Amino acid sequence: MEIVVCVKPVPDAETRLRAAADGKTLDAEGVKFVLAGYDESAVEQALLLKESIPGSKVHAIAYGPAPRTEEVLRAAIALGCDQATWVDAAGDSSGDPVTAARALAGVLAGVPRDLVLLGKQAGDDESGIVPAALGQLLGVPDFSCVVDLRWDPAGTRFRFQRPVETGVESWAVPTPLVIGLQQAWNDPRTAKLPAILKSRKAPIGRTTPASASAHSLPEKFELPPPRTGARLIEYKTPQEAAEKLVRVLREEAKVFP
Amino acid sequence: MPDFSLTAEQEGLRDLARKFARTEMAPHAAECDRAGRFPEEIYRKAFELGLMNLNVPTEYGGSGLGVVDQCLIVEELAHACGGMTTSVIANCLALEPILLGGNPEQKDRYLKPFCAEYHLASFCLTEPSGGSDAGGLKTRARRDGDDYVLDGEKCFITNAPHASLYTVFATIDPELHHRGITAFVVPRSATGVTPGKDEEKMGHRASSTSTVRFDGVRVPASDRLGGEGEGFGLAMRTLDQTRTPIGALATGIAQAALDHAAAYALKRQTFGKPIAEHQAIQIKLANMAQAVHAARLLTWHAAWSIDHGAKGTLESSIAKCFASDAALHVADEAIQTFGGYGYMKEFPVEKLLRDAKLTQIYEGANEIQRTVIARELLRQYA
Repeated sequence: MEIVVCVKPVPDAETRLRAAADGKTLDAEGVKFVLAGYDESAVEQALLLKESIPGSKVHAIAYGPAPRTEEVLRAAIALGCDQATWVDAAGDSSGDPVTAARALAGVLAGVPRDLVLLGKQAGDDESGIVPAALGQLLGVPDFSCVVDLRWDPAGTRFRFQRPVETGVESWAVPTPLVIGLQQAWNDPRTAKLPAILKSRKAPIGRTTPASASAHSLPEKFELPPPRTGARLIEYKTPQEAAEKLVRVLREEAKVFP
Repeated sequence: MPDFSLTAEQEGLRDLARKFARTEMAPHAAECDRAGRFPEEIYRKAFELGLMNLNVPTEYGGSGLGVVDQCLIVEELAHACGGMTTSVIANCLALEPILLGGNPEQKDRYLKPFCAEYHLASFCLTEPSGGSDAGGLKTRARRDGDDYVLDGEKCFITNAPHASLYTVFATIDPELHHRGITAFVVPRSATGVTPGKDEEKMGHRASSTSTVRFDGVRVPASDRLGGEGEGFGLAMRTLDQTRTPIGALATGIAQAALDHAAAYALKRQTFGKPIAEHQAIQIKLANMAQAVHAARLLTWHAAWSIDHGAKGTLESSIAKCFASDAALHVADEAIQTFGGYGYMKEFPVEKLLRDAKLTQIYEGANEIQRTVIARELLRQYA
């Protein structure tokens, strides 16, 4: 089984963020980028499949600028991916998901792939567009918000579920296909110390997208306003607490008419 | 000029240790401290990730790290729990005499099977009658044919109740004082080896500490490290290697204390504003930050010196002594910043003071460190 897992570097949740001088993008200076959230689950799932299907290989591919993209690919190798390819975004710092999908699809078209796995959305922009765009660009079926992904060797197809608002769908789909995984339904492993050291010396393939496509940039990028402090309502009886709370919600927060 | 930037490898190691400390150790630190519980499941995970036998070369199944690398890891672990960290790094101390004094056959025989699985080892030097006066130890090793017979008692031995291997220092003749001391590797399974009960300690309560009795324990001469009488030098060279990470451990505790104090100072209000806006608290935090920073740099410098071939006795003694004193001071000031809450066990800072205290005592009491520092210093003026 040839498994390709697409990952994206996203800012570490503990990093302090700020807008860049142009006011349109995130200032990457001093930001620690990591393999996180949905993509971490996707790598874990790729490795679980590799371990359960003899002769499988996992190829990690990422689109993005230096050095963050190479860093998350090294993290993927430390976790157990066999090969890594960096699709150099060079000057593109827009984070535009369609541009990313086109660049990834350009590489994916030329590599062996039975299954393309990725997080259903990135932990930063949460656009959720790339899995569907990859399916379209590669001309293969794509599914997002997938959980409980298993290989059915007898039926030579993948079986998985999609929790939707009205219930749970069960699917059985032959390869090739694109899967966008739901986060936190597997328990991503931690890379071991020797693997971390070894990953630093692993070769990482580098390509540039065939054509730089036009991408959109937001007019302005701002961080959310700092949270204001909590307000304590003092009371003597539960009834008084409820009355005061309802008054604040109605008259000040205007939650109720 | 020295370069203080970390390599990508070192950042990787530190990130791993930080993640492990935050996700696996920190959530259990308070509970283990309260109950005096030895969280073996956490130590197993540390082993599986390669965070345990840090100083053992990779050819023997260890992580093969230099002292700077070890210090980066140890500081991160200690930020979450000093006691757990002591138990995680106790193997480094116990195995170092084998690395320094073992012949190739012995290294193969002991280290490979030991490092291939989760095992704990203990360094057995200190005795009930004294730790600092290591030259005067009383455990006897009598030659009997191809064997030695060990009799005596060790105390304050980290991980002893759980260890499968002991490196033991005994004397072939007390009259010879430090020239009689000889090192041995003794498996827990040897007849006559008896670890005592787990001690109730002030801090480091997630670590396990006990006596170990040796009653007529037969040790083949092939399990002797180096020659007869070479044990004292071996113990001292071992401590030269392992003392610096204790500086890192103390730095981790101090950094945790500073982190707690600063975060609390921004939150806690008195006289209508956060106490971080009062100069009295600002000065406290500034002094704490200086102590933490200096402790870390002295530790890094000692580690860097050793990695670059220095013996490191002076540098590591300065680092260990300064960082442990700093840890106690910073933890104390963190409690003061918290006020009454700091004294309560429900808050995390009083534990830091109790944990910090041990770093002034173990791996060479700070009085001994100062003796060593003065000796090395005066030699330069004589």
